[in-house]
Amino acid sequence: MLNPLRSEQEAFRFLLYVVVVVAVLLGIVFAVRAIT
Amino acid sequence: MEAAAHAEHHHGPPAANVSSRVEAQFLGMLLFIISEVMLFGAFFTAYFFIRVVADSGWFPIEGVDLPKAIAGVNTAILVSSSFTMHWALEGARNENRNALRVGLLTTALLGLTFLTIQVNEYVHIGFAPHDHAQGTIFYGLTGLHGAHVFVGLTLLTFATIRAFRGHYTAKEHRGVEVPGIYWHFVDVMWIVVYSSVYLL
Repeated sequence: MLNPLRSEQEAFRFLLYVVVVVAVLLGIVFAVRAIT
Repeated sequence: MEAAAHAEHHHGPPAANVSSRVEAQFLGMLLFIISEVMLFGAFFTAYFFIRVVADSGWFPIEGVDLPKAIAGVNTAILVSSSFTMHWALEGARNENRNALRVGLLTTALLGLTFLTIQVNEYVHIGFAPHDHAQGTIFYGLTGLHGAHVFVGLTLLTFATIRAFRGHYTAKEHRGVEVPGIYWHFVDVMWIVVYSSVYLL
């Protein structure tokens, strides 16, 4: 299991996941706002 | 008998009890970052509360909007600094001293650029913390994060100086690894701050 506090490598991978997840969430929110 | 002999020759305080499988340094960083998440959580609670209850809504307020594009460039700068940090750590792991030194120095310079742009943003943004509740929480959240970048920069400065003095090896580089974890945490927090405060 990914533990971002165990090593820098895992923290960096966690950061990349956060970037992707936030980008997807923002895309969904902006799409919903554009539709409604 | 053996214990008595040991006590007779032992000087100073007894050795600290080690009951965890996690190393003390990493346990300390873990507890520290958990407390940091709670600190940011308190500020985010205030932010979401204001967004829900304020009649004037979120920005733009009185014709003043947040500089989303400049903050976006700043976000790219900070995220790229995590890549250089990771590169520096890979350099340390592979005994590549040049990569370690250049990576740490670049990370520190990118972090310094981020802070400079943020201060410039404060100077030109057009409202003060006491103008309205939205301004208060804007400065509160971004300022809290900026303070963390400053702390990270301080850690990076020490790590960079030590790297140029020949410290750190492939086996022993905790002095870079722990600031690296902290730096990625600061980056993660900024992505959350930027997307919620500036974009949403």
